[in-house]
Amino acid sequence: MAAKILPVVKLATKVSIAGGALYVVYDSGLLGNSVQGSEALGKAKAAVPPAIEEWMKYFGLQAQLPTMPKIEFSPVQGWNSGVRWTISSLSEAPTKANEYTNQGLQYIKDLVK
Amino acid sequence: MSEKELGKKWDRCLADGAIKIGTGLGLGIVFSVLFFKRHTWPISLGSGAGLGMAYANCQNDLRSHYMLQRSEKEQV
Repeated sequence: MAAKILPVVKLATKVSIAGGALYVVYDSGLLGNSVQGSEALGKAKAAVPPAIEEWMKYFGLQAQLPTMPKIEFSPVQGWNSGVRWTISSLSEAPTKANEYTNQGLQYIKDLVK
Repeated sequence: MSEKELGKKWDRCLADGAIKIGTGLGLGIVFSVLFFKRHTWPISLGSGAGLGMAYANCQNDLRSHYMLQRSEKEQV
């Protein structure tokens, strides 16, 4: 009797877990449009540090985790400054090449004299 | 579309992409462990589906500026 019921119970448990996961995902708007998705990401980011703190307190590891250093580097700013530097170097390149060539020729002339 | 608006749309696209791929991966892992004996293919299917949904959303969002909305159509 128990041997017959057990597979059914197992299947029912699995289906309920999978169904619950699907429901949570649908309900929290994770599968909606991009506005809902970015809102969900914002909520998750806001919820992570307090959750980590609570878990740390629970396990008694409060003092051991070093605080995240505040990273002032912005990838967007880095990329933009890189682009600006590249374009300005490219625009100055002919002038500089001309200068260096003239200097080189002058040097050679002085050597030959 | 102004530069600022375009920038915001791209930000939304990337955030949404991260969410959808993560969700797809998570659901894929759940289904793989529960029903498919820990094979890899549900995980790949889930992440791929998430990526596809994010791509479609992004495409829709970027095109929406140039599409005539229903309310505008009625006015015209």
